[in-house]
Amino acid sequence: MSESPEPLPKLSRNGHALHCVRCLSGLPSSQTEMDASRRLALVFYCLGSLDLLGVLESKSTDSDRESWREWVWEQQATGKYGTGFRPSPFMTGAGSKPVCPLPPPPRWGTYSDYDTPHLIMTYTALLSLSILHDDFSSLDHPGLLKFLYHCQRSDGSFCSFPNSTESDLRSVYCAFAISSMLDDWSGIDVPRALAFIGRCRTYEGGYGQEPYAEAQGGTTYCALAAIHLVLSSHSIPSSPLTPAQRAQTIRWLVHNQHASGGFRGRTEKDPDACYCFWCGASLQILGVKALVDSGPLTQFLAKCQFKFGGIAKAPGEHSDPFHTYLSLAALGIYPPAVPEESWKFDSLDPLLNAREDTARWAWSKIPLKARGRTS
Amino acid sequence: MASPPTLYAEDPAWQDVVPVPQYEGVTPLAPIFYTPEYKDATDYFRGILKSGETSERVLELTERIIKMNPAHYTAWCYRYKTLIALGSNLEDELRLTDVYCFKYLKTYQVWHHRRLLLQEELDFIARCLGADTKNYHTWSYRQWLLAYFNHPQLWKGEVRWVERMLSDDVRNNSAWHHRFFVVFAAGQGEQGPEVIRREIAYAKQKISLAPNNASAWNYLRGVLDHARVPYSTLTAFVEPYTLEHDKEGEASEDVVDLEDPPPAKGAELPCALAIEFLADVHEGEGQEGVRRAVELWKSLANEYDTIRKKYWEYRIREALATQN
Ligand SMILES: [Zn+2]
Repeated sequence: MSESPEPLPKLSRNGHALHCVRCLSGLPSSQTEMDASRRLALVFYCLGSLDLLGVLESKSTDSDRESWREWVWEQQATGKYGTGFRPSPFMTGAGSKPVCPLPPPPRWGTYSDYDTPHLIMTYTALLSLSILHDDFSSLDHPGLLKFLYHCQRSDGSFCSFPNSTESDLRSVYCAFAISSMLDDWSGIDVPRALAFIGRCRTYEGGYGQEPYAEAQGGTTYCALAAIHLVLSSHSIPSSPLTPAQRAQTIRWLVHNQHASGGFRGRTEKDPDACYCFWCGASLQILGVKALVDSGPLTQFLAKCQFKFGGIAKAPGEHSDPFHTYLSLAALGIYPPAVPEESWKFDSLDPLLNAREDTARWAWSKIPLKARGRTS
Repeated sequence: MASPPTLYAEDPAWQDVVPVPQYEGVTPLAPIFYTPEYKDATDYFRGILKSGETSERVLELTERIIKMNPAHYTAWCYRYKTLIALGSNLEDELRLTDVYCFKYLKTYQVWHHRRLLLQEELDFIARCLGADTKNYHTWSYRQWLLAYFNHPQLWKGEVRWVERMLSDDVRNNSAWHHRFFVVFAAGQGEQGPEVIRREIAYAKQKISLAPNNASAWNYLRGVLDHARVPYSTLTAFVEPYTLEHDKEGEASEDVVDLEDPPPAKGAELPCALAIEFLADVHEGEGQEGVRRAVELWKSLANEYDTIRKKYWEYRIREALATQN
């Protein structure tokens, strides 16, 4: 039992939904740098937020959703390293969009060395399309496996795109999540990747983004979720974590909860709404979500609500779709024990980081073998 | 495209430089019969040395000389000076020297040049961290650089530097992490009992200054785990931190123990992290110990660390379950 001295304000569901709808319809030019790197990720956080709030259907029309699906599919591209999704059409020439006659052309374009698909974006594309209930008949399965193969490096890690030197635990997680959604692990060398994850572990009990780097909540989530995705596929017999390591990781995670109720990403830093998800989901993955008091956690997230909609990383800051989505996802794991309707959420799948129904959709519609479909 | 003149003497872009021929004395001993290209380039290089010019064309000139004679240490030296003066991208320079390192593995000058570049890079990272002391990318870049090039010369100053970072902010976990990285995880330092003792003493000292600092406690635990030193060896140090200040006041007549520095005056006590540590010590002592650990965990759950109440109750359940 936790006593909440302060009354819990309402979760401004409508405001948060409108914030995401606004971001989907257009970004100011100040967000130009988002284009090359993360536009598809932004789309995912917006769609995901609407999905978690249960308002995707009511806040958009059928044709909105059809055009969003179309946009995501347009990012699928194939080439010598296989097939994946690009962050956005930022390097695609204006004339290259096919003037769509019927029947439509194959739903993927080709890429050069300068606009290769991106591993993290491919993961977000698959989840976005699951949120939009796509049937995945346009997915190039063998091409995707080939792409995964080309992204893995000899040290077991994955680069975000072939031949890049940018490789860290986030890409490892995305490669595992994609393999899980495909229900096909043949594209990646699992033991080698697990060894890489092991090398990212630090003396504190968390995981850094690469070997030797400081333990951090987000990358710790990536490590634990990756390990448990492969565990749940029965590709490995047991967790590579010893009981002592597991206990140490739990200790580090719970110690990241600040007295204000929010979690921080690194020891002695300030709490930040997104780590309520990264650390909270990590604890759920380790089977100990009961160790988190959802009362103070909710109080903290309530204070991170921005007055014009959306949730910010900390009280008094401006909101963005990333922190909005992850805060709502945290509430999917740790709903507060209050009668107040506005705080009620469907449960969340911590391994894929999606609403349970959406995760089920991904696992049942994406695998080639589950389809029995001829193309 | 017309090929550029092979000799600087014929290149209009260099006509402002006065070449300085090599002085060989009247009857040179063991003369080297240089190629005309080498002689031309070094003549102009000596001219540049005289004028002290640092510019893009100097980079081009030194590169040409180094290609012909990778042991030309003055060319390397002056090239380094020019790079720094121009604020050039040192990563590009490293990539360039990659080629020479392969070609001329036995040439001392190449390696020395790289070392200077890397030292400069470490200084640059340090300046970045001065502006943003916990920037994750900057820290992991430094760690990558040190581990990747792995040279004693590079590691040499790290402990002293990180000590400065920690004396600026004892709660900078990135700096604590870096210290562990340098001393234990990847560094080339000695790892004997002397180092373990030094690191434990260092953590104790920092804890005494600011007891409620999870970074220092995590470091202490990390060192003990790494060296397999039992937590119980620190009971005498930890106990004063688990008590209220007034009780600690009685002990203050004792001579100050340098081995086990007491909590700083004015520190907020009891310290939850110390209570947790002491409970871990007791948990390992068997039945009577577990009873005492349970008391400590209860005090954390109900009074000193209530945000983690459920965790402390879990520790109690786990400890009692493994005992039965
Ligand atoms: Zn954040």
